[in-house]
Amino acid sequence: MTALDLQALLPLVLTTATAIAVMIAVTITRRHGLAAWLCAAGLAAAIASIASARECAPRHISDLLVIDSFARFYSGLILAGSLVVAVLSYGYLKLRTDRHEEYYILLPLAAVGSLVIVCSANLLAFLLGLELLSICLFALIAYRRTGRGDLEAAVKYLILAGASSAFAVFGAALIYADRGSLAFGPPGLALSSPVALAGIAALLVGVGFKLALVPFHFWTPDVYQGAPAPIAGFIATVSKGAVFALALRYLSTENLLADGRIIWLLTAIAAASMLAGNLLALRQDNVKRMLAYSSIAHVGYLLIALLASASLGRPAAAIYLTAYFLASLGAFGVVGALSQPTRDADALADYRGLAWRRPFLAFTLTAMLLSLAGLPLTAGFVGKLSLVFSGVSSALWLLLSALVLGSVISIFYYLRLLAALFATPPASEPAISSPNTPWPTTAALLFLTVALLAIGLWPAPLLDLIQKMAVAAW
Amino acid sequence: MTDVLGIVMFVVGGVLFVLVSLTVGRLFRPRRPGQLKGEIYECGEPTVGKGQVQFDLRFYVVAMLFVIFDVEIALLYPWAQVFRQFPKAAFWDLAFFVGLLLVGYAFAWRYGYLDWTRPRAGGQADDDAQTPEQER
Amino acid sequence: MTELWLIPALPLAGFLLLLIGPSLGRRASSLIGAGSVGASFLVCLFTAWSFAGKPITQTLWHWFTVSNLSVDVALRVDQLSLVMILVVTGVGFLIHLYSLGYMAGDDAFSRFLAYMDLFVAFMLTLVLGDTLLTLFVGWEGVGLCSYLLIGFWYRDPSNGRAARKAFLVTRVGDTAFTIALFILATKFHTLNIEAILTACQAWPVGSALAVTVAGLLLGGALGKSAQLPLQVWLPDAMAGPTPVSALIHAATMVTAGAYLIARMFPLFQLAPDVLQLVAAIGASTLVLAGLSACVQRDIKRVLAYSTISQIGYMFLALGVGAPSAAMFHLVTHAFFKALLFLGAGAVIHALGNQQDLFKMGGLRKALPATFWTFLIGSAALVALPPTGGFASKDLILELTWASAPGARWLWAMGVFGAFLTAYYTARMFALAFFGPPHSHVHHKPGPVMIVPLILLAAGSLLTAALDWPGPLGGAPFFSHFLAPLFPVSDAHEVSASLASILQASSLASALAGIVTATLAFRRFSPSVSPDRPSPLVRFLLSGCGFDSLYNLLFIRPFLFLTRLNRNDILDSFYTALAWVAGLFHRGLSRSQTGQVRWYAFALALGAVILLAVMVLL
Repeated sequence: MTALDLQALLPLVLTTATAIAVMIAVTITRRHGLAAWLCAAGLAAAIASIASARECAPRHISDLLVIDSFARFYSGLILAGSLVVAVLSYGYLKLRTDRHEEYYILLPLAAVGSLVIVCSANLLAFLLGLELLSICLFALIAYRRTGRGDLEAAVKYLILAGASSAFAVFGAALIYADRGSLAFGPPGLALSSPVALAGIAALLVGVGFKLALVPFHFWTPDVYQGAPAPIAGFIATVSKGAVFALALRYLSTENLLADGRIIWLLTAIAAASMLAGNLLALRQDNVKRMLAYSSIAHVGYLLIALLASASLGRPAAAIYLTAYFLASLGAFGVVGALSQPTRDADALADYRGLAWRRPFLAFTLTAMLLSLAGLPLTAGFVGKLSLVFSGVSSALWLLLSALVLGSVISIFYYLRLLAALFATPPASEPAISSPNTPWPTTAALLFLTVALLAIGLWPAPLLDLIQKMAVAAW
Repeated sequence: MTDVLGIVMFVVGGVLFVLVSLTVGRLFRPRRPGQLKGEIYECGEPTVGKGQVQFDLRFYVVAMLFVIFDVEIALLYPWAQVFRQFPKAAFWDLAFFVGLLLVGYAFAWRYGYLDWTRPRAGGQADDDAQTPEQER
Repeated sequence: MTELWLIPALPLAGFLLLLIGPSLGRRASSLIGAGSVGASFLVCLFTAWSFAGKPITQTLWHWFTVSNLSVDVALRVDQLSLVMILVVTGVGFLIHLYSLGYMAGDDAFSRFLAYMDLFVAFMLTLVLGDTLLTLFVGWEGVGLCSYLLIGFWYRDPSNGRAARKAFLVTRVGDTAFTIALFILATKFHTLNIEAILTACQAWPVGSALAVTVAGLLLGGALGKSAQLPLQVWLPDAMAGPTPVSALIHAATMVTAGAYLIARMFPLFQLAPDVLQLVAAIGASTLVLAGLSACVQRDIKRVLAYSTISQIGYMFLALGVGAPSAAMFHLVTHAFFKALLFLGAGAVIHALGNQQDLFKMGGLRKALPATFWTFLIGSAALVALPPTGGFASKDLILELTWASAPGARWLWAMGVFGAFLTAYYTARMFALAFFGPPHSHVHHKPGPVMIVPLILLAAGSLLTAALDWPGPLGGAPFFSHFLAPLFPVSDAHEVSASLASILQASSLASALAGIVTATLAFRRFSPSVSPDRPSPLVRFLLSGCGFDSLYNLLFIRPFLFLTRLNRNDILDSFYTALAWVAGLFHRGLSRSQTGQVRWYAFALALGAVILLAVMVLL
């Protein structure tokens, strides 16, 4: 372990240190503000350390981790997402449970798990990261303990994540049995061996579960509905983004797309996810569930980038994920900001006429929904455009037609919520009298909105960054 | 193809084994169903209460704490094995590890997770501590 | 002077400021609204003062590059656009000033000024555009503002209808214009006007391409300038407030078509057939519109038809190869027609929104300032010396006569037009200002309305000096000024004696018109007029029946088609799609039972399928 290794590892180290520091602080004194700020500052420092580590070439750290520009880009995305979640959580928790502080230990630990996944060069590291992420999420999902929904969600997630992890571990074991190593290629996996193929299939179950792809998607709406709104945002973005980055890396280092069956399976899964996700969301009256279903469809879209040629697919994936991070976090942030101490604002009726009561939140949500729908002037449009571009260049016509069909369907439910936002407010008292938004939440939402529109209007800087970072060979 | 054949044969063989052994037993054993045979514990102990009882949450806390320190012991053994080769680095590595555990230990101590009857430690916050005491 | 961008930017800034709305207060709104145009006028004056005869181009920014077509946003001042910006900002400023008084009682005062400022900004973009695309932005922008201002009093549905009509009819021309842009862009890989005019010289005269492009551009110009056959929108456009009619539908926007042809004149010269068509259209428009103007009862409609007719003169001049005469008429017309509209506005205002000529009368005493300024404007419209209208119309007729042997017919139509002009002007004047009064004067116009009238009247007179006929002791300053762009050809020289004869004949026809009208309407009383007008009058009243013709030709068949497709055959596809989606939604929702058992089973099932596909296939 040299100093350069340490420098490359700095984001992970700092994020871990954040968790420890918050723990020490909590042991000394229970103060919500202190814990939250410590957590936010630590995550910010970790983001800064990514930028400072720019000069490091791809580095292998032991056999487990590799820090290259790809990993750094997604680390940055994950840390930024976690930071936004931390800030949004501050305002959210203030109103709710009386024990806030442990939350800020678990959140950076979940981020560490995601970072390990992104940086893993070895199935062992991947499984470790996956478990760390899952365990933290169990606790975070059930953190409020106010209603029955959250415990139910946590238990569901616990059982199903455990089952899917079992498959992933089994898959890793099979691959080890076939090959004698857990490290990612090269040389790529021998795709002729049935043992290795079974291993890949089992791994795909684990990955598919975390990405909430059809047919492993059933948990998504229940868990999103039960989880605190910021944590739902975390699951939708950070957790999925990390696993997706891993899938991208694994697929191409092992050259798995050389196998027709894998392409076939992924195509089927992607198309099914796009259609099922959007169709399930169609008449959903619960906003959190609606966002959950739409996230299924979005990951389905993302698979296009996975299947497209690397030169176009990788940047498309990075752009789309960035846009999706912004919009999802923003949408869940607004849900959180509107929520009451006793329940989250997840009914469609809660949003009726919001534009006249809370113009800022309504505007933010409008921008987020338009971006999720992929309309121009938002980051979502840029993302979808590059996705379609990559798909066209690789002639993935089936998936592209599914994407178009899915997008058409999705417009309906996004616009349905939008129409509710701008409907004339009901004559009677509003369904919920939402509390005032604390300033950190406002700041975070403002940041997300500005970034969303900035990327939508002027995507060149982001595209440059992505060309430089997310595409580099490994 | 031979590999696949092997797997298929294995699966078929496994299913057959279970079915055959159960069928063979059914053919030979006597069948005399009755009240006594329906009991949970056939050996005579009468059952009390329901099977689904909630264990006191404190057992889980204790179990978790035990596992953590158990792992520490498990790690200490290989550490001791290699200590002579890398005295300095190995010392600091373990010191860091133990230090981390100490932070957790302090946390558990501070908030009363080490006490069986928990005081309302740290003052404000522990609403899940109330159940056992109030029941008693 | 490199600050050309200030010229359109100032009114645009005024518009943006005025967007804040009524909270600004009337005083601030007035200051911003009129002040921004005034400031822009000052910049124009400064530009003119420092103008040394060489065109100035200012590239603001690179707009876009699409394959080999690269377009900049650039402004350019040459002799032609200099004349235009001076007219637009100068006359525009006076009209803004006037509207401060005219619109003072309106609730949407600042909205009105905002639209007017936006209009001026777009109009300036139009005339300053160095590329056809910049010009096109201004072109469409003024169309938008015209739409907004015609429908300004949107509570009355008929105003909205008039606005839509104007927008749609000009759209027909704009489509042709757009196609011309596409052709030019594909042929030359540039939309820069200079570059196009240079490059197109490679085309032989009368080549199919030149005729096509010139014809399409002419289509755009016809729509914007309300010439045959797209003139039907302008009379209805009078639904807007009178200052709008003065600024947009008389002085500036409707002349944009003439400007476009003048701007692209070298291209038109390559298509002599199209030029002849321009002249023919101009001549027929001026006669038809003049005939319609003779019977209108609404004072603003008289002026609207008169505007169409006068622009017909400009097109006639363009068609016979005398763009500088067309531009000269454009300038003088801008002054006197703005004056007439504003004067009419003052009358309408004074009579409490009374626009019917038959219900006016005897206003000579009640509104002396309006009377005298209106008199000067009318004299200019009739082309009596020593007004600007005389100088410009005379120049056009003289050049028409001289242009080609066959052009005598065109000249004759022009002279007949002069007769008609004199007739309807004198009729309007007599009905409004002489005879017994039929309406009560509510309030007299204040100084803020009178001063622009006086200044415009002065302008109507003084513009005569720009290009006063040589035989009468003048000098062709204006033609010389534009000579770098439109060289004065010797073919158009007319001997002094012939010129005098021509002048005398057109003057005589004008006087004849005045005398006829005066005899007919001096002692006119509405009770004399038959309640049911004769078929000929009805035909003329309706603008020669074009509306019913278009109704029959286009609107009826279109409505028939829409009625056929009332239930929208294509939409049923989407309805079916929605229905199928809903069906699938319900089906899939059943799978979300909320039971972990089922979820785990699905997970296991998925795993089995994956394993089976991977291992067994």
